[in-house]
Amino acid sequence: MSNLVHNEVMKLLAKKKLWVIIIIVAVLVSLFTYAQMRAIETQRETLGTEDWRPILQQQIIDTQNRLSSSRVSDEWRQQLEMGLTQQQYYLDQNINPSEPGAPTFMRLFIESAIDLFIPLLVMVIASDLVSSEYSLGSVKLLLTRPVKRWKVLLSKYITLLLSISSIIAIVGFLSFLISGLVFGYGGWGAPILTGFNTGPEGLDFSNVRLIEQWKFLLMTFGLAWFVAVVVGTLSFMLSVLVRSTAAAMGIILATLISGAILNNVVSSWESAKYLFMVNLKLTDYLTGSAPPIEGMTLPFSMLVLTIWWAAALIVSFSVFTRRDVY
Amino acid sequence: MKINKIRFFTILSTFFCLLWAAGLALVFIEYYSSEQQPIPNNTDIPEAEKKEGDLIVVALGDSLTRGTGDSSGKGYVGYVREELEEKSAQPVTLFNLGIRGQRSGQLVNQVQETQVKNQLKQADYILITIGGNDLFQGGQTLLDADQDTIEKLQKDYLSNLSSIFQEIRSANKEATIFFVGLYNPFLELDDSKKTSDVVRLWNYNSAELAADYQGIVFVPTFDLFELNVADYLYTDEFHPNKAGHQIIAERVASLITWQ
Repeated sequence: MSNLVHNEVMKLLAKKKLWVIIIIVAVLVSLFTYAQMRAIETQRETLGTEDWRPILQQQIIDTQNRLSSSRVSDEWRQQLEMGLTQQQYYLDQNINPSEPGAPTFMRLFIESAIDLFIPLLVMVIASDLVSSEYSLGSVKLLLTRPVKRWKVLLSKYITLLLSISSIIAIVGFLSFLISGLVFGYGGWGAPILTGFNTGPEGLDFSNVRLIEQWKFLLMTFGLAWFVAVVVGTLSFMLSVLVRSTAAAMGIILATLISGAILNNVVSSWESAKYLFMVNLKLTDYLTGSAPPIEGMTLPFSMLVLTIWWAAALIVSFSVFTRRDVY
Repeated sequence: MKINKIRFFTILSTFFCLLWAAGLALVFIEYYSSEQQPIPNNTDIPEAEKKEGDLIVVALGDSLTRGTGDSSGKGYVGYVREELEEKSAQPVTLFNLGIRGQRSGQLVNQVQETQVKNQLKQADYILITIGGNDLFQGGQTLLDADQDTIEKLQKDYLSNLSSIFQEIRSANKEATIFFVGLYNPFLELDDSKKTSDVVRLWNYNSAELAADYQGIVFVPTFDLFELNVADYLYTDEFHPNKAGHQIIAERVASLITWQ
C-alpha cells in the first residue's frame, strides 16, 4: 500500500500542479493584501483616525442607515440587523473585531475563500487524478499489476487527502507571509468572539465566549480543510465517472459557482439546504453571520456535507472496481 | 534525492492533515462545550489621544445630517467641514453619526452609548439636526393633526432634547454646539399658514431650550427656505437638495469664528 501511495505522490509531484497552485495563491493573496491596504488607507483619510472604535462606530451608523431605507428586503434586513447587534456587541465589549495583523488577514482570507477559491484549487488536483490515467491510457498499466483495484483507488484517494492538506497549508503560509509584510506578523493572541447562535429572533448572545485568535484560526483551517475534502471527494468521484478531465472540471466548477449564486437568492427555497454547495460557508457559523437558509446550523451543514462525502466515496469505489477498462 | 523529496512531501502533508483534523475536532469541542465563561468586561477604553491642532467635528441627528437629498452625498455637514478646512487651514476630522429617520427619542439613546460619548468628548464642534421626524412623521401629522397631538409631540420632543443637551454637556463642557432648526418643506401646499405656525413655534421652543445651556447655538433655517422653497428641495419635496444643503452649511460655517 505504501508503495502505491509513494507511486501516486511521485506522479503528483512530477506534474508540478502544486507549483501552479502556489503561484495562483501567491498572486491572489498579494492582490488582496494590496486591496486591503488601500481600503484601510482610504478609511484613515476619510475618518482621520487610526483608532478602530470610531471606525466601527461609523460602520454601525452606516448599517443603521441602510436599515432605515424602505427598500431593504426582509431577509437582507434580518442579516443586517444581526450584523449590527454583533458590531455593537464588539464595541460594547471593547473588542476589536479585526485586530490589524497577518493572523487577522489570514482569518478573513480563509473565511472568504472557503466556499469558492479553496474548492477550486482542490478541484484542479482532484479532477484529473483518475481521468488523466484514462486519457493517457496508463490506467491499463496500472490495473494489470497484481494489486486489487480498490487499493489502487485508495492510494489515489490518500494522495488526494495529502495534497488537500498541503493546499490548505500553502494558503495559510502564503497569506501569512505576504500580508505580514504590510500588516505585521503580530496578533495571535487577539481575542475573538465566537458562539453566536442565530435564531429567528436574531442573535443569541447566551453562549458567546472569547477565544484567542490562534485557536480560532486553527478552527477556521479545520473547517476549510473539511470543506476541501468534501469538494475534493466529489471531484474525485467525477474524475472516476467521467473519462475526460475537462468535463469533470466543468461539472464541479458549474456546481460550485451555482452554489455561490444560490447562497444569495436561496433563502425562500427551503429544501435547497440539502445541496452541498449551499453548506460550504462553515466559517459563518463561527463568526455568527446569518445562514443562507433559516434553521441551518453547524452540525446540520456538517452532516449534509458528510453524507455527500460518503456517497461520493461509495460511488467512486464501486464504479472503479467494476468498470470495464478497454 | 527524488525519493527524499517524495518522503518529505508525504510526511509534511500527513502532519498538516492531522493538524487540520485537530482543528476540526476543536470546532466540535468549542461548539458543544457548555462551559460558561464570563467575558471580561474591559470598559477602560483608552482616552483617545487628540492630535494637537486637529479640529474634530461630531454631527448627530437625522437624514439632514446624513446628507439625504444632496447629490454629492456630503450633506450640509460635509460642506461645513470643507468650509472649516478652508478657513482654519487645518485637517478637520468629521464623525458623522446621523441616521436617517432618527427621532429625538432615539438620539437620546445614541448619545448615551459609551463610544458615542467618547467621540463627543473629543469634539471641538458638535452639529445637531433633530426633530424633523418627530414633527413631520412622513408629512402626516402636520397636515391632519389637531392642536393636542402636536402639543403632545412637542412636549415629548422638548424633554428628549433637554436630555440630549444634558448628555452632551456631561461628556463635553467646552465644545460649541450648533443646533440646526427646522424649515417648513410644505410651504407650497395648502394650509401653509398653519404648518408654518407650527414649525415656527417648534423652533421657538427649541431655541428657548438651547438658550438655557452655555455654548449651544440655535441656527435658524426657516427663513432660508421661506421664499424659494421649491428651488431648495429635493425631488421628494421634503429633504433639501444640494443647494439647500449648501445654504444651511454656509449659515452654520459663518457662525464658526476663527482667530
